[in-house]
Amino acid sequence: MAGSGGRDRAVKLAVRDVRIGYRERRNGRFFAAVQNLSFEIKDNEFIAIVGPSGCGKTTFLSAVAGLIEIASGSLELNGHAIQGPGPDRSLVFQQHSLFPWRTVTANVGFGLEAQGRLDEHGRRRVSDLIELVGLNGKEGKYPRELSGGMSQRVNLARALATDPDLLLLDEPFAALDAQTREVMQEELTRVWQADSASGGKTALFITHDVPEAVYLADRVLVFSASPGRLVESVDIDLPRPRDPGVKRSKEFAELNDHVLGLVMQQAAISRGGAR
Amino acid sequence: MTQTQTRPETGEAVLPATALDRRPSFVARNRTVLLGLLGAFVVLLAWQLSVWAELVDPKFSSSPFGAVEGLKYLNDSGLLWQPTLDTLQSVGLGMLISMAIGIPLGLVIGRSVVLHGLLEPLIGIMYSVPFVVFLPIIIFWFGIDGTARLVIVVWSALFPLLINVISGARNLDGNYLQVSRVFCAGPLRTLWSVALPGTMPYILAGLRQAVGRALVGAIVAELFMGTSGLGYVVQTETANFQLDHSMAAIAVIAVIAVVLTRGVAWLENRLTFWSASVG
Repeated sequence: MAGSGGRDRAVKLAVRDVRIGYRERRNGRFFAAVQNLSFEIKDNEFIAIVGPSGCGKTTFLSAVAGLIEIASGSLELNGHAIQGPGPDRSLVFQQHSLFPWRTVTANVGFGLEAQGRLDEHGRRRVSDLIELVGLNGKEGKYPRELSGGMSQRVNLARALATDPDLLLLDEPFAALDAQTREVMQEELTRVWQADSASGGKTALFITHDVPEAVYLADRVLVFSASPGRLVESVDIDLPRPRDPGVKRSKEFAELNDHVLGLVMQQAAISRGGAR
Repeated sequence: MTQTQTRPETGEAVLPATALDRRPSFVARNRTVLLGLLGAFVVLLAWQLSVWAELVDPKFSSSPFGAVEGLKYLNDSGLLWQPTLDTLQSVGLGMLISMAIGIPLGLVIGRSVVLHGLLEPLIGIMYSVPFVVFLPIIIFWFGIDGTARLVIVVWSALFPLLINVISGARNLDGNYLQVSRVFCAGPLRTLWSVALPGTMPYILAGLRQAVGRALVGAIVAELFMGTSGLGYVVQTETANFQLDHSMAAIAVIAVIAVVLTRGVAWLENRLTFWSASVG
């Protein structure tokens, strides 16, 4: 499962000339958050999007999730235009999105329940996932009894439960402390590799943490300063399965420096524009 | 004390903490309840003493012992259980109607910007105006039978409930609704599984206020237009200069009030244990 070996795979998500923005309420002027964005994601690829803050990466993810509409261009999943949320996608939220009145099990099962799929098979899937993300014995706990890391495990399991075609992750580890984040990055690679027999689902991961992106992804997309467009797509040829030791390798350092350089360059542009 | 607390890693002997454990005394554990009982006892004693010392005329002031005898009288003459049941029935029925209207309506108004803009000022005014001023009009509309009493109870209980449910629905965390959308939950599922539990702390706070006002509404209705109920007993017994009997009936009303509000508080603990901000 080398990262760049997917040239012959089917296209999962096709992004063509996408522009997303909103009209200002006062003067009706259109403000573009994302513009001239074009790229493709292949089946089973793990993609990370990095960019300076405010570059529209979360906006783009919301559009893929179907929560907001695109202004122009086309956004196609498996050849069909994305119109609103669908069971073929699920989203791992940043934080504070677990229902505090539901136990771990009930939270993980919410997606299946909402889609009317919480039958015998669905319930087994929920308990399998709880075990996979390492929450054995916590099934009956409520979110306020969980640490930040455990909450995000539940969040991940909830997103995986509906068995989505495309897994969207919106800075899921941003609010965690440094050690927990490292552990969760490792856990995510493990879960992602373990959950599907075909070697992982297609995943789109938003982060502002460059080492995290390089460690997790098959390909890192660097977004420009606002309005966001694609600056460069960097193939991460690190072998899988990856363990945290890979972060100390020379190849990792080179890729990391390259991506970090691109992001810093864009951040400088966005600071210059703000002045 | 500080001498015995040694760090575990130095390997020094640590005095077992259990040796210093001491169960708080009965008085310390139940201080709030005991002080409350003491306060009530002192007031009742002062009342009884001033009757015995003939400082006041028990014909006008009644007395604690007189009220106990009054309770016996009410029980013997069938003026205790049936009126209590009647009052509880108006409160219960009125609360059921208020909940059936107030909770769904509040959720809908709270989630709709237009409806909220249209109705919020009206509901605010209806909540602020003392509901008893509508009593003559309600009598004019509905007469003085059971229907009119029920209308009063609903009128008084509905608005505090409605206001709380609306503010709960408006404060519903946007993240929860987004989760609901992403996982393709339909509107009914979102209402039942997300909006309703998400506003439960507000709903129960509203119920706590509403149940108090429902009791006031029921008693007021019985005082002015009743033919049954505890308010009616207080009214008729006082008119017959039987203050002891009135006091006994008032004591029963007080017990009902405490039981009802405590009951809702218990429900709040049961249903919103997951919320950190339960007061």
